[in-house]
Amino acid sequence: MKKWQLQVGNWLTNHLKLPSDVLLELPRITTIGQFHAYIENHRGLILFTDTELQLKLTKGSLKIVGDHFVIKTLLPEEILVEGTIKEILFLESE
Amino acid sequence: MKQVQGTWLRGYITIQVIGYHPELFFDLCTRHEIDVWQIKKVDQTTCVGNIFIKDIIKTKQIRKQTRYKLRFVRKTGLPFAWKKVNKRKPLLIGFIVSLFFITLLSNMVWKIEVAGVRPEIEKQIRTTLSENGVYPGMLKFSIDSPSNLQKKILDNIPELLWVGVTEKGTTYSLEGVEKTSVSEQESRGPSNIVAAKDGVIVDMYVAKGKPMASVNDYVKKGDILVAGDLSNTDSEDDDEEKTHNKIAVEAEIYANTWYESTITVPLQANYKVLTGNVNRKYYLNLADLNLPIWGFFQETYKEEQVEVEQKSIHFFQWELPISFVKKSIFESEQITEKRSRKNAREVGIKQAKTQLQQTLGHEAEITNEKILHEASENGKVKLDLYFTVKENIVKIQDLSQGD
Repeated sequence: MKKWQLQVGNWLTNHLKLPSDVLLELPRITTIGQFHAYIENHRGLILFTDTELQLKLTKGSLKIVGDHFVIKTLLPEEILVEGTIKEILFLESE
Repeated sequence: MKQVQGTWLRGYITIQVIGYHPELFFDLCTRHEIDVWQIKKVDQTTCVGNIFIKDIIKTKQIRKQTRYKLRFVRKTGLPFAWKKVNKRKPLLIGFIVSLFFITLLSNMVWKIEVAGVRPEIEKQIRTTLSENGVYPGMLKFSIDSPSNLQKKILDNIPELLWVGVTEKGTTYSLEGVEKTSVSEQESRGPSNIVAAKDGVIVDMYVAKGKPMASVNDYVKKGDILVAGDLSNTDSEDDDEEKTHNKIAVEAEIYANTWYESTITVPLQANYKVLTGNVNRKYYLNLADLNLPIWGFFQETYKEEQVEVEQKSIHFFQWELPISFVKKSIFESEQITEKRSRKNAREVGIKQAKTQLQQTLGHEAEITNEKILHEASENGKVKLDLYFTVKENIVKIQDLSQGD
């Protein structure tokens, strides 16, 4: 069932030019240089420290590594992080 | 992107969460629709972040279900600032009252400076000013404009030639110039008196000099009336004696002179008069907004003439954008007057007479007037008038000019 949904979603994005993040519930990450990262469509906070941020996603999780992190705004599906971003990693769930 | 807005106006609290993975408490808050922002991790077990005042109770309820410890670190925003000020009400009231007083005092007359005149006249100026409501302690709104004051002072004190009124903040400074009556030059050179106009001599008063004409003589303009040369014209004296015999003449000679003038008078006259009824309204003006403060429920006039006076309010030396507006509404009446021909003639003669008197000065006396020709056309009466005037025709001619 899930696989079928994914296939339909893929077809829609390819042929109707609909944004993939909405249809497939994927995160949309916008960064401004090194110091701003804006993540939409996350599913919650796992970990937050000065140097690391981990977010739940629909599938797997997202890890951002850097320095002097401050969460500027935290909303159920959006998050804005400020600091010095060094890495953005997608972690596959087991 | 949704943003947390109006944080300072709505007021917010910085909270400190202590516990294992404290950031997860903020995550929990967002799931209960509480806005959180500026989250910082201080160390492994403490985290700080901001929440709105309105969400405090909700946050506390969430905390009860968890094992976190909550501490309020700092309160920021308008509601807290207001609370603080409210606690010191006398201070607040004092502040408002002092502002009010400063504005009031900035709009008062504090000093009147008079310069350039003698002390007696200065005293007179001061009394005239205080009669017109300009004295220390008076509010500036009720005072006339400087140009009006200038006019009033000049009307009241004939000794003044000119007076300048300037308004410098709370000070009125006046500068006056007195009329100085210049005494006639005593030592005039030898001179003759000649006729300034054609006319028939009526009266002659010769104080010094040799009269060359007599009463009832017809003289032409430029004729010598009184000669300054007293020496006998037949005898040939030497030059020195000749100059010695020449004197400065003094005389008053009145003659009848004649003037013609043409004047047209309309048979119908329209003019506007004020009935004397007046409504006064006062406004506080801010930019384009007029806020009425006095003068409600007044009857409106059918025809009116409106005068608006605007005075800006000062705060120290600065002009505030607020001004005090006084609006006077005068009731007026349109009057149409129809003149009969006889009436128009009278009006015309009177008008011509005053015109002539103005050009001749008040020493001249209009003794007789005649209508030479009268015609009426297009609702107008045209008059050709002839006047006989008794006036002084003395004109002094200097004899030393030729030297």
